[in-house]
Amino acid sequence: MISATARRALLAQNRQLLRSQFTPIVGGRARWAATSSSGTPPESVYVPGGPVYKGSVNDPTPFPTPSKAHGSHHWAFERLLAAGLVPLTGVAFVTSGSHYPVLDGVLALSLIVHSHIGFDSVVVDYLDTRKKPVIGQVAKWGLRAATTAALVGVYQFNTNDIGLTELIAKVWTA
Amino acid sequence: MLAVRAVGLRPAIRASGISVMALRATSRGVKTESITTTDQRSILDKQRLNRPSSPHMTIYEPQITWYGSIAHRITGVGLSVGMYAFFLSYLAAPVAGIPFDSSAVVELVHGLPEWAKVAGKTVFAFPFAYHSLNGVRHLTWDSTKLLSNAAVTRSGYAVIAGAIISTAALVMM
Amino acid sequence: MSFATGIVARQCRRSALGLPRAISSSAKASLAQPVPPEQPPSPQAKPPLIKEFKIYRWNPDEPEKKPSLQSYKVDLNQCGPMILDALIKIKNEMDPTLTFRRSCREGICGSCAMNIDGQNTLACLCRIDRAETKDTKIYPLPHMYVVKDLVPDLTLFFKQYKSVEPYLKNDNPPEKGEFLQTQEDRKKLDGLYECILCACCSTSCPSYWWNQDVYLGPAALLHSYRWIADSRDSYAAQRKEKLQNTFSLYRCHTILNCSRTCPKGLEPGTAIAKIKLEMAAE
Repeated sequence: MISATARRALLAQNRQLLRSQFTPIVGGRARWAATSSSGTPPESVYVPGGPVYKGSVNDPTPFPTPSKAHGSHHWAFERLLAAGLVPLTGVAFVTSGSHYPVLDGVLALSLIVHSHIGFDSVVVDYLDTRKKPVIGQVAKWGLRAATTAALVGVYQFNTNDIGLTELIAKVWTA
Repeated sequence: MLAVRAVGLRPAIRASGISVMALRATSRGVKTESITTTDQRSILDKQRLNRPSSPHMTIYEPQITWYGSIAHRITGVGLSVGMYAFFLSYLAAPVAGIPFDSSAVVELVHGLPEWAKVAGKTVFAFPFAYHSLNGVRHLTWDSTKLLSNAAVTRSGYAVIAGAIISTAALVMM
Repeated sequence: MSFATGIVARQCRRSALGLPRAISSSAKASLAQPVPPEQPPSPQAKPPLIKEFKIYRWNPDEPEKKPSLQSYKVDLNQCGPMILDALIKIKNEMDPTLTFRRSCREGICGSCAMNIDGQNTLACLCRIDRAETKDTKIYPLPHMYVVKDLVPDLTLFFKQYKSVEPYLKNDNPPEKGEFLQTQEDRKKLDGLYECILCACCSTSCPSYWWNQDVYLGPAALLHSYRWIADSRDSYAAQRKEKLQNTFSLYRCHTILNCSRTCPKGLEPGTAIAKIKLEMAAE
């Protein structure tokens, strides 16, 4: 049995020996630097939807900042509007012409908003700005402009002309 | 390895962070490389950039689920584009000096041959019927009902059948 | 264009479970008539039934070569009944370079998920269609980056799984013993806990195809709901709060390819619909 002090000394000595002898094996970093042309590994750029990911394999994907306006409220509004369109379409056509022009206006307005949400969904699905910085912006603002103009058109048509339901009814029997 | 054990090197080897496996490897003349996380990452990323994306739309089986869904989107977009086009034209026509109001449209349709009227009505009525009926199907799903595979398949075909019948009824109106 | 009905689509999975069992009898041995031992059928008894498999190949060592379909002809009378049996036979006997993931061969590990004849399913649970005239096409899971042949890169898929914190979170553990739960509460987890994360559903989802960098996909969302629905977890509100954005949850347009393709018969689409309804009701 050797004493604890002697044992520790021996261990330290061995450690020293090992380090001097085997460090080159673990010196992979130096070898990489020697073979790579620039000396530093190339930094891969993150492209949304590309094969290179942000963070390591052990990092969870991040979430955007929470916003109910873009989340549940948007969803609920979309559904309520869509559900409302079912009776509204029926009633607007039954009362078409003359008596309740307001109903016709509400229907046209709802259809424009419903369409806008639908178009917006298409734009976000296929042309989102994170993937298409230029076309995405054009699509997003183009849609907003078109919807605004269409709303003005609805106002003009419903105040100066016959309204949507009556137009369709007349065209249908023309 | 016996020799290592004899001189009491094992605890020291462990302490120094070199695995016994590495020692064995050196004695055989095989060298392993330990590289930093950054280097591992850049090697991996280089490989990733070569990877092709596997085929999807072209090889996936046509099913009522996603074909019905894309039809819902196409019919919706088609109807909305038509509606936007009408209201935007109504707004732009006076600026361009073209007469475009309800009477002009009705007049135009009135002058069309019968087959064109029927065709036009069908082109409008079918997307409207399909999108409306499938919209109700979607609202049912959103209330977490009829979501089983059997129900989804059944309602999918029911909506197509319903849309065809409704189209016929609307065109004959 | 022909729509496959749900019944046809399910057939390949159902039949896997419908194997006949041997029936044991309690009749006395003495009552039995001696039966001459049946001759075991010789391997030559059945004529070869040659089936063509067309398998997606891509080799990372030759990245400049485009992915292609490679054809293999297998005698089904010398092969097990499942697609995985055929793949293993091809790898063992014809082409050792063919690469695919597999482990349990009984539908519980989720490794051998791939696109077989247009549908995402587990190769080990999918019977080989024995029609000789029709070839079977095998692709990796759709719209995923391919590591090699039938092996897709699932890194992002599992990063997304991790992001929903798929573990019990509760700051007030019971003072003594384990969390208790009523039978009704436990029932809410049925159809959720069985998910084996094979990625069949997520990679069948067109929304996930186009937006997988931001949309979590059916599998991760099913797991999110698995913990939202758990009565022992006290973080349901926070879990839902994280989904309050345009992408993580709401890129789901209820296409329902996910429920249709799930090889375990689960309904990720239903779980997502429940999350949406709960969030709207808040």
